[in-house]
Amino acid sequence: MKNVAFIITVCFMVAACAAPPPITVDEALTAGKEETLLWRLALEEQQVINSSGWLYRNAELETYLNAVAAKLKTVADSPDISFDIKIINDPHLNAFAFPNGVIYVHTGVLARMENEAQLAALLAHEMTHCTHRHSLRVLKSIKDRPGYMAAVQKSIEKVAMAQELAQFLGVNGSRTAVTGYTREFETEADRVGLDLMAQAGYDPRQALNLFEHLRQEIEIEGVKEPFFFGTHPSVQQRIENASLWLATEYSGKDTGLINSEIFRSRLDELVLDNARLDLRIGRFYIAQSSVEKYLRRNPDDAGAHYLLGEIFRQQGRQDDTEKAIKQYKKAIVLDPSFPAPHKAMGLMHYEEGERRLAQKFFETCLLLSPNAPDKAYIQGYLEKCINTGKES
Amino acid sequence: MKKLLLLLISLVLIFGCAASANKRSLNALPKSDFSVEIPAGWWKPQYVNKYLITKDGPFLQYVLIQQRPIDHPFKNTKKKLRKRMLPLESARIIIDEIASDRNIANFNVIENTPAIIDGHAGFKILFTYMDKKGSVFKTLYYGFISDNTFFSLRYNAATRHYYEKDIADFQQILNSFKLVEG
Repeated sequence: MKNVAFIITVCFMVAACAAPPPITVDEALTAGKEETLLWRLALEEQQVINSSGWLYRNAELETYLNAVAAKLKTVADSPDISFDIKIINDPHLNAFAFPNGVIYVHTGVLARMENEAQLAALLAHEMTHCTHRHSLRVLKSIKDRPGYMAAVQKSIEKVAMAQELAQFLGVNGSRTAVTGYTREFETEADRVGLDLMAQAGYDPRQALNLFEHLRQEIEIEGVKEPFFFGTHPSVQQRIENASLWLATEYSGKDTGLINSEIFRSRLDELVLDNARLDLRIGRFYIAQSSVEKYLRRNPDDAGAHYLLGEIFRQQGRQDDTEKAIKQYKKAIVLDPSFPAPHKAMGLMHYEEGERRLAQKFFETCLLLSPNAPDKAYIQGYLEKCINTGKES
Repeated sequence: MKKLLLLLISLVLIFGCAASANKRSLNALPKSDFSVEIPAGWWKPQYVNKYLITKDGPFLQYVLIQQRPIDHPFKNTKKKLRKRMLPLESARIIIDEIASDRNIANFNVIENTPAIIDGHAGFKILFTYMDKKGSVFKTLYYGFISDNTFFSLRYNAATRHYYEKDIADFQQILNSFKLVEG
C-alpha cells in the first residue's frame, strides 16, 4: 500500500511549485529507495514506448544524435549516466528525458532544427534534467505534500501533447518524464544546458535561434504548446532569459561550432518522413515548408515532388490542382517507374470526369505496382473508365 | 427467520434481474437517418450517448454506427471529407484520423478495399491496434458519403476470442443497413 501511495505521488509529481530541496549532482545515483523506484518506473514506461510502434527507426541517425550527446557529456559535471537518445515518430514539437538518461526526441522538433548546435541546445537541456536529477528532486519536494496534487494535475492538462502520451503511459507508469518539470527546473535546464553546449564548443547563440524559430512556428500554426518549450516558464520568458545570459555571460563569445551541413545531410530523410506525418494530421503549411526545405537540398527527388503534390491536392484550395499536377509531372519525369504520381494523376482526372486520361494513368500505375495495397480501388476506377469509353 | 431471509434474497434477485434487463435493452438509441436490424442479445449501454450496441460489454466488443456532416473536421487531423469524394480518398482520411489518435498504439491496417453499403459506393478498412492497457483490438470499419453526410459502421472487438465470435452478427447488421428518407 505504501508503494501504491508512493507511485501515485510519483504520478502527480509534475510541475509543483515547491522549492526543490538541494541535492548535489554528484550524489550517488540510485543510492536511495526513491531513486531506484523512479528508475524502475522509467524503465517500465520506456518499454511501453519502445513497443508502441511510435519509435522512428534510423540507426545511423540515432548514432549521430548519441554522438552529439556524448560530446556534451564529456563536459558535463554529472554523475555517470549513460545517455541514450531515441526518436519518436511524431510531428509535434517535443522532447523529454527520463531520470535514467533515456531521452526521446520527436521527429517534429528535429525536422525544424537548422544545425547541430541547435540539436546540442536541446540535448543539453534534456540531459540537465537527468544530471541534476530533477525527477527525484520534484518527488522529494512533493512527496509529503499531497495538497499539490490537484495543482499538478491541472498543469498536466495544459500540456496537451504531453498529456496524451502521459495518459497512454499512465496506466503502466509514473509519468516520470513526459509531463515535464517545474519552472525552476526548466530554467535550470536552460541555464546549465547553455553552459554545456558552449563548453562543448557549440555556438550558444543557436539556443536562442532555436527558441525563436519554434516560437514563431507555435504562433503561426497555433500548434499545441510543446513540452520542451512548454508553459513553465513561458516560451517568451525563456527567450528573455537566454537573451540576457547571452548578452552578459557570453558577451563577445560569438563563435563556436554550428555544423549545418553535416546536420542537414543526416536529417534529410527525417525531414521528409516528418512532412508525411504533418500531412497526415492535416498541417499542410508545415508539411509544405518541410518538403520545400528538403527539395532545396534534393531537387531531383521524385518522392519529395510527389509528396508536395499530395499536400497541394489534399488542401484543395484554389490553384492547388495546378500546383499538384506540376509536382506530379515533375515526379514522373524524374522517376517514370514511381507508381504513386501516376495514381494521383489518375484520381485527379477521374474526379474531373476525364476518364480517358484517368485510364491511362491508372493503367500505368497498376503496371508499375501490380500488388499495390489499394489495387482494388484502382481496378474499380479503371473498369469504370473503360466502360465509360465503350459507352461513348 | 430462514424463510424471511430466503424471501429477501428472492426479492433482491428478482429486482436485480429486472434492473439488469432494463439496462440491457435497445432503448434510447439515438434518432438517426438510417435503420438496421439488430440481432438478439445486443444492448445499448445507458451511459453512452451514441448508436453503440454491445453483447458482452463495450470493452469486449461493440458495433458503432455514426453519421456526421462532411464539413465537420475530424478530431485528430482536422481534415474534412468532401461531397463526391472518392471512397479511396475518404478511406485515407479515416485511416489518417485513426493513425493520429494518441490513445492507441501499434495501429496496423490489414485491409483497405472498396465496398458497397446499402447501394452506396464506400470503403471497408480492417485494422488492429493496442489500447492503453495493452489489449489488442480488431476493427472492421465501413464508410460512405451520401449527400452531405458521412455514415460509418464499425465492429470493434478484442482480437482474442471476441472478434470472431460476433462478426457474423455485424455482417447481419451491415446487410440490413438502410438510409431512411428524411
